[in-house]
Parts: sequence; structure tokens; C-alpha cells
Amino acid sequence: MFAYAIRRIIQSIVVLLVVGLVAFAMFRFMGDPIDNMVGQERSTVDIERLRGELGLNDPFVVQYFNFLNNAARGNFGISYQQSRPVFDILLERAPATLELAGVSGLLAILIGIVLGVFTAIRRDGLAANTIMVVSLIGVSLPTFLIGVLLIYLFSVELDLLPSFGRGEVVKIGGWSTGFLTVSGLKALVLPAITLGLYQMTLIMRLVRSEMLEVLRQDYVRFARARGLPEKLIYFRHALKNTLIPVLTVTGLQLGSIIAFAIVTETVFQWPGIGLLFVNAIQFVDIPVMAAYLMMISVLFVCINLVVDLLYFAVDPRLRDDNAAVKI
Amino acid sequence: MKSTITLSLCIAALTANLAVGAANAETFRWASSTDPQTMDPHAVNSSPVLGFLNNVYEGLVRRDQAMAIEGALAQSWEPLDDKGWRFHLRKGVKFHDGSDFTAEDVLFSYQRASSEAADTSSWFSPISEVRIVDDHTIDFLTKAPNPIFPDSIANFMIMDKGWSEANNAALPSKEVENHATLNTNGTGAFKLVDRQPGLKTVLEPHDGWWGEKQHNITRAEFTPIQNPATSVAALLSGDVDMINPVPIQDAARLKERDGVKVIDGIEARVIMLGFPHGADALKYGADAGKPNPFKDQRVRAAVSHAVNVDAILKTIMRGAAQPASQLVSPAMRGYSASLSERPAYDPELARKLLAEAGYPDGFSFGLKCPNDRYLNDEAVCQAIAAMLSQVGIKAELEAMPVRTYWPELRADNFDMYLLGWSPGTFDAEHPLRFLASTPNKEKKLGSWNFGDFSNIAIDSMLPNIQSEIDDGKRQMMLDHSAKVLQDENAYVPLYVQPLVWGARDNIDLTQRPDNFVILRWINVN
Repeated sequence: MFAYAIRRIIQSIVVLLVVGLVAFAMFRFMGDPIDNMVGQERSTVDIERLRGELGLNDPFVVQYFNFLNNAARGNFGISYQQSRPVFDILLERAPATLELAGVSGLLAILIGIVLGVFTAIRRDGLAANTIMVVSLIGVSLPTFLIGVLLIYLFSVELDLLPSFGRGEVVKIGGWSTGFLTVSGLKALVLPAITLGLYQMTLIMRLVRSEMLEVLRQDYVRFARARGLPEKLIYFRHALKNTLIPVLTVTGLQLGSIIAFAIVTETVFQWPGIGLLFVNAIQFVDIPVMAAYLMMISVLFVCINLVVDLLYFAVDPRLRDDNAAVKI
Repeated sequence: MKSTITLSLCIAALTANLAVGAANAETFRWASSTDPQTMDPHAVNSSPVLGFLNNVYEGLVRRDQAMAIEGALAQSWEPLDDKGWRFHLRKGVKFHDGSDFTAEDVLFSYQRASSEAADTSSWFSPISEVRIVDDHTIDFLTKAPNPIFPDSIANFMIMDKGWSEANNAALPSKEVENHATLNTNGTGAFKLVDRQPGLKTVLEPHDGWWGEKQHNITRAEFTPIQNPATSVAALLSGDVDMINPVPIQDAARLKERDGVKVIDGIEARVIMLGFPHGADALKYGADAGKPNPFKDQRVRAAVSHAVNVDAILKTIMRGAAQPASQLVSPAMRGYSASLSERPAYDPELARKLLAEAGYPDGFSFGLKCPNDRYLNDEAVCQAIAAMLSQVGIKAELEAMPVRTYWPELRADNFDMYLLGWSPGTFDAEHPLRFLASTPNKEKKLGSWNFGDFSNIAIDSMLPNIQSEIDDGKRQMMLDHSAKVLQDENAYVPLYVQPLVWGARDNIDLTQRPDNFVILRWINVN
């Protein structure tokens, strides 16, 4: 297992380097940040001077090398838009995204598994069929549309929840949390639903189909024949065996919840790193874009790694030594 | 009996609630699509930054509700014969931190704002020297007589010398933050209490302000909201009191809703078409490589007659905009009232002009257009392309985000392009300097004249316009320049861009053509 982990880590580093190279090659096509940094009355000389100072005239490989060189020393550069260190900005924005992603991930897993088991057990019931039909909406409607619909219904028409932002936040050390105030919690509801809906329906459908598969297995039938209570069969024997694929998908989805919070954050003006990235694209804020892309790829690579290692923990067949003992 | 008591308790609770509501009602929350990049008034010369900081900092002069110049930190000013301007400073003015405002601060701010590190140095190119006369009198000496200098520095904001130097912010910084990027110490009616870049900026009234208070705001919160649908929803749900801008397509819907109102006016910005006067050959379309037809004035005139501006305004701008005939709007100083007629929509005449120029069958070319810079810019370009093809010239439209648009124009990659121009000085001289002068790096002229338009009459008249003290003579020269540009069809001015704000019904505010949200004129009722 140790050797396996080392191998995976080396692979991951190569992936990261390639992602960075591709990103820097593409920045040149994003446009020119200079026009955003100087006003209307700038002269052509000003433009050239600033361009030189920012190193924008260097070939992209050189720019990438400089970025890596500085990043290795913990310096992610200065944002063109805010003139502040990118690292500080990311730290400032991360709590908003992590809290949102955490809550929507948790909602997605809990509700997804419960509904998945329910629809599998009562597969012909009216409630289960209704849930299945409704879940199609979650899978097929684009996130921004769900977000706008929720805002329109709950903020504009019913005036129950705020239409944008994060409400009042409380600072605990460097972490700003919205969990401790009423307005913070209210502000969290709509974005969390918007962000988690797709994942929730995905997990629900996955659990359901896996569950149906497992319920046809011989050991379930034997368990029934032994007269075990239904509850025990479903939740002890069947559910446990459906969890392996669910774990993989959930793990990967957790990464995408954070990465694709971009859309939700834009719709709700949620002050997280996704919104920061969207603004950075509009501004051609290369240091912020580079740091964000690297951060997201590190995240994905780490999640993949953890999921791979979790297999070992959940599935005894993958543990060679244990398998040998059982035979 | 019991129920009556409960009822009266309920009513009491309700009124208590209302009272609390009224106390909070003087918080004014507004949202705009752009966050000011910095709190440093000399670091970025852009309207989101200057507009926001106009509430915190003040200049020697400022613009009133009708855009006329009035005294701010300077109580009065007078020309020093032909050598410059003398400003008499207001006495007893205090910065937010309590320190006194004197001529030293003006000299310091001049040095800061005109330094190479500043983005505002072009305002001071006519200045040769700034001299302190006494604590409350200061002279700005100009290289040549300069009648519009006081008009051109309404956004030149005065910083506190002591505060800036103590906080290592003696020079503006664009690339790296310094103390003045996030903190302020102005003399304005509002002071900054919280600045979270990109998230929220909070202002509170400055108790020691010298002026007469016309607002009732106790706290003002600004949030940037980039997504237009979100900002409209925020206004409708009452989460913000004002948004700027309202998307044109939502304006009609907002007007019909209870509780909100739409305030529209026209901006200072004129939208126009530009041509490649200097290029020898077309670069795009089926005729790429053939000689450039836009060098012929008749072809440019044909374009001006082929575009149906009224139709564009009616359908795409929903009637909110005004047609334009010159590079500046009628609200600007130096506008030529006698030349307010724009070329009539006349496709027959356009075809005739094209035939005379030797293009009876037309030609095809490339039209470049931004898609996120001006209101509905891409739709306007599509309409223009369709109208031009009706007279036989086929535009191949390429629309792109503004971040790639300017570099393309600078690289001369266009056969025709769309441009909007808002004169920072609110004077007709401004577009002559930036759009109509022959490009010249040393003299900093024509830096936005992408098509290299060059006319000896304009070039020789500009220095005279800049130094003419007599208003009548100056206006004659401006009229003459405007006439040359119209006769040459150097640009085809299309319309003055509309300004559409949305606000809750209980908000009283003033909308100015420079699109600044001035808090000291806002009342929350």
C-alpha cells in the first residue's frame, strides 16, 4: 500500500505540472489585462511600461517558470485587480466556498442516500415514483436556472430568504463563518440547495440502482429466508454493499462541488473563490487565475488519492493480506 | 377581554418593530456591476474608482447636479493673466482623521497625482509649476493659457500629506498594494469604515464635513454584483436600495413593478463607428487584400446614411438612447449646437455614393465589435451589419470580450470598429485630443485614434483650442473642428448611450451623466 501511495503521488505531481503548463499557454488567448489596469487617458508609453513591469512580454514558458519558482517559495504573486497578494485573497475567500460546499455536500449525501434507499425499497410506490420524476429536474436543469428560479420564488415573490451574499459573518481567527448568525444561515439555504441538487439526485439514483442490484443477490434472499428483520437486511447487509461505487462518485463530486461552485457563486454573488475566479477571468487577472487553477487541480488530485486509499479501507478484497487469511 | 389585550400587545409589538425599522431605514445599500479596484484616488483613472471615491475625497472643484463646476476645497479661483490659475482654498476644512487641510496638501496631491506612478498624470500635462502663495492660496502655472484647467480637475482628489507620508503611501501604487489601496483619509462627506475588496465597502457620514448636509444616510453599504439577473432580484426583494445599471431588457418590467422605480437619463458616452484611415488594404472578408475603400470619404458617408439609428434605438435600446451627430453629447461643454443634425437614413443615397466611389456592387469587409463593453453592443453591431448589407457592403462581424478587443484594435486588426467615448473633462476638446489628432507618442496625442485619422486642420487647431481664453472664439474653433470631422465622416457617431438605474420607491437621488453615485444627494424616506 505504501508503494502504491508513493506511485500515485508522483503521478499526481506530473498531472499538476501539465495542468499549469496548459493553463499558462492559454492565458495569452484570454486577452490583455493592461486596459483594465490603466484609465482612458493612458498613453501608449504607459501601456508598454506596465506590460514590461508585469513580465507580460515574456514567452509563456518563462512566465510559467517564474510562477512555479515563486510558488515553490510560497509566493503566488500579486493580483492585478486588487494589487494584493493572491495568497491572502484566496485565504480570505476560501471559508465561504468551503462552508457552502460542505453544507451542500452533506445535504446531497444524507438526502441522496435516504431517498435512494427509499425509492429502491418501495420501487413501485407512488411516492417513490414521484421522487424519481422530480429528481429528473435536478439532473437536467442547469444550475444557474435553478438558482435564478429559487431566488425569484423565495426572495422576490415570498421574501423569505436573501437574494444574494452571505449575510453577517463572524470572524474566528482567520476564518469567517456564516454558521453563527441568523442572516448567515438564511443566506446559506438557497445556494446550498442550488449547488447540492445535482449531486443529491445523482447519489440518489446511484444508490437506488445499486440497491436494486444488491437486493437481487443470493445473500439477501438467504437473509430473508433466515427470517431476519427487513430493516436489518436493508441497512446492514444491502446498503453496506452499495457504498463502494457511491463512495467513488461522492468523492469525485465533492471536488466538483468546490470547483463548480463557480456558477452558484456567480448567481448568488456568494463571496467565495469561484466568484473570485470569474472576476479574475473578466479582468484577465493572471496571478489569480493561475493560483486558482493550481489549487483546484491539487484538490482533485488529493481527492482522487484519498478515494483510492479509502477503497482499501472499505473493500476487504483489495487488502491482499486479509484476503490470504480468509482463504 | 383577554383577546383585546393580546391584540393591543400585538399592535404595540408591531409599532415597536416599525420604529426599529425606521431607525435602520437610513442605511443605504447599493450595488453595481464593478467594484472600484482601489481606494487610492490617483492609482486608477476609471469611472468606478473616481465615482466611488468622490464620496470620500474631494477636489479643489466639483460638479453640481447639473454637471456645472462649483467650488469644493477651493472657495474661488481666478486666472493669473495668461500664466495659469490661482485657487483660494476653503478655511477650516478637516480631514477624516482631524488634521487640517492646507495648501501643502494640495501641492503634495499634485505631486502624487502627476507622478509617473499615477494614472492621472495626463490631467497635469499643461502644468509647468505649482506654487504655494500662503496656507490657503495656491497657484497652478500653465505652459500656455489654459481656460479649461479648472474644469478638467474635478476628479483630482486631495489627499492628506501627513497621513500619506506617515503610512508610506506618498506615491500611488498600481502593482503592489500600499496603505492607500485599502484605507482613506479624505475631506469628503463620507468616510470609509470597512473595505473588503470585491465583497463589500461601507461608508459612514463624516461629522466634521464643511458642507451643508443634504442627505439623511447614516450608513452606506456598497456591494458589487456582477450577474445582472441577481442584481435585479436583489432590488426587487429589497435586499438593496439601488442598482446601477439596470439591464435595458429588464427596465420595462421593473417600471411596472410596485415598490421600485427606474431612473433613466443619458450618459456622456457617444457610441460611434471608426474606420481604418491609414490602412492600404482590407484585412477581412472576401475582399481581403484589395485596396481599402474606407479611404474614400464618399464610402464613409455612404455608411453614415446606411445605418438607421432610429431603428436601432427603438428596437435594441428600447427608446432609451438619443441619436448623436458629433463625438460629444449635447450635455458637454463646447458642443456645436448648429451641427446637431445627424446624416439622414437614406439607403438610396448610400448606394449612389458607393457607385460614385467605384463600388456599384459593394464589397465585403470585417467589422470588429466588443460584446461586453457597451450596452447591447453586440446586438447593435449585428443590426449595423444587416443595414450595411442592404446597401451592398457586406460586414463580416466579429464580436469579442473587451479584454481581447483593445489589443486587436491596437494591432490594427479591423476594417471598421465600434467605439464609445466619454470625455473625462466633459468638454468637446477631449475627443479631439484622443480620437481625432494624428497619433503622436511624445505629445501624447491620438492615443485612441486606432484608425490613424489625420487632418491638418484639426491638428493645427487643437493647441489653439486648448489655450483660447475667450469662450466665443474657442466655441468657433470647436464648431469648425466638429464641421471638419462631419464633412470628412472621420467617425460615424450613432447615439448617446442611455443610463438606466433602478431604485426602491423610497429613495431620492440625483443621476448625473457621468454615472457617479453621489451619496450626499441621496435621501432614504
